[in-house]
Amino acid sequence: MAGYLPFHDRNVMAMYKKIYRGEFRCPRWFSAELTRLLSKLLETNPEKRFTFPEIMENSWFKKGFKHIKFYVEDDKLCNVVDDDELESESVESDRDSAVSESEIEYLEPRRRVGGLPRPASLNAFDIISFSQGFDLSGLFDDDGEGSRFVSGAPVSKIISKLEEIAKVVSFTVRKKDCRVSLEGSRQGVKGPLTIAAEIFELTPSLVVVEVKKKGGDKTEYEEFCNNELKPKLQNLTADDVVAEPVMVSAVDETETAIANSPPVCFLPSDTE
Amino acid sequence: MEDWPQVSSRSSSLTVGEQICAVFIPFFAIIDVLISSVGQCFDYRSTSPRSCQHADLERLARESRFSVNEVEALYELFKKLSCSIIDDGLIHKEELRLALFQAPYGENLFLDRVFDLFDEKKNGVIEFEEFIHALSVFHPYAPIEEKIDFAFRLYDLRQTGFIEREEVQQMVSAILMESDMMLSDELLTMIIDKTFADADSDKDGKINKEEWKAYVLKHPSLLKNMTLPYLKDVTTAFPSFIFNTEVED
Repeated sequence: MAGYLPFHDRNVMAMYKKIYRGEFRCPRWFSAELTRLLSKLLETNPEKRFTFPEIMENSWFKKGFKHIKFYVEDDKLCNVVDDDELESESVESDRDSAVSESEIEYLEPRRRVGGLPRPASLNAFDIISFSQGFDLSGLFDDDGEGSRFVSGAPVSKIISKLEEIAKVVSFTVRKKDCRVSLEGSRQGVKGPLTIAAEIFELTPSLVVVEVKKKGGDKTEYEEFCNNELKPKLQNLTADDVVAEPVMVSAVDETETAIANSPPVCFLPSDTE
Repeated sequence: MEDWPQVSSRSSSLTVGEQICAVFIPFFAIIDVLISSVGQCFDYRSTSPRSCQHADLERLARESRFSVNEVEALYELFKKLSCSIIDDGLIHKEELRLALFQAPYGENLFLDRVFDLFDEKKNGVIEFEEFIHALSVFHPYAPIEEKIDFAFRLYDLRQTGFIEREEVQQMVSAILMESDMMLSDELLTMIIDKTFADADSDKDGKINKEEWKAYVLKHPSLLKNMTLPYLKDVTTAFPSFIFNTEVED
């Protein structure tokens, strides 16, 4: 707004002195209201500084202000209002196969079979990249890895189970193809607890479900996973395997054999 | 001017003790310098990247796709990692393992590969320069060819220039073992068969660089691990560098 920084000096120590004392000058064209608001924002005493609710109440701030609701998906901020536009856009972008260098869409084109989302298929290298050793983001955050497990249940059952779990704890559910995002409402220091679950196809009758924390407190996430998510999804696996009709094929016999055994094996790595 | 005679008489009024001290003071100064310089020989710190000069940081910024401020911020990360177990300003394998697995012990095939690729000089430690060079590839704006190449070298366990079937088998088995997960041999074979059918276009049982490139362009999600979005905002993750910076970006 001013076109220059409030605290600036070629000498770093002099700049810090200005910051410490809260010394800054507003340009002449700033209104008195704005100058007042800024001095309350740049208040050196954290006790006296304006908080977000106070900013929202300020008359200068309220002029022309539009409250935007947003959520995080794919590590990007998404506007709730644009949701409908996004839905129609994503179908079109799937058909576009051009891949640009700097912006890679990490979603594989989703094949829509009769309205039901078909999960992306995993190849050997996908499985290899699950390893914690290959994921260097661990150098920057200690959010912990996601957990993955194999399930013989059909995709639609898993998704509806996730929705059911979310309803019990009053979490918001956002679905996009084979990704389900559960968002809590309780605000914490790191934001509300947000969990993203994604389903991948391992074989025609087995899927891998990957659960990751996208926001919120780590302990809360682990509690939720251990008490709510895992046990309920675990039961799903065992039950549905029995109910599913056995497909006729040599390979599938092995698969159902595996699926029938007491599985729920979590892929790396549960940080316990 | 009338002080002169008084000065000379004052100087001769120094006690013998004070005169002796006056003689020895320069010697003490010399000994002091000798001790501190000898002491530096035994102090790793003075030779380690910890005392990275500003000129080095600028050079690293030029050679990589980071700005000087980003290199400084990454230096903060490097310092944190490099002194977690052995405080010598270099990242040892245990320290990398600790950072990624929160445990310094245990064997891990993937960690070995990552460490090996970071350690350009192959001297068993990762220096700051090597750290920056390797991380540069993980920047969101790094060209995809670099990422494809790095991933290829990661998976080429025996460094033969090809990703062989046995290597893929070894890696997938390692992952499953890490998770105590049991997948039957048939299932495993089927998954690898499917992958090779898709990737190995000349059907020679191994994936060469060109085949890998074509395969990855068909399945871009395979390069997911090769990009760290954090690198775009690294200066906000380590703001303490602000106190050390001499450059405005």
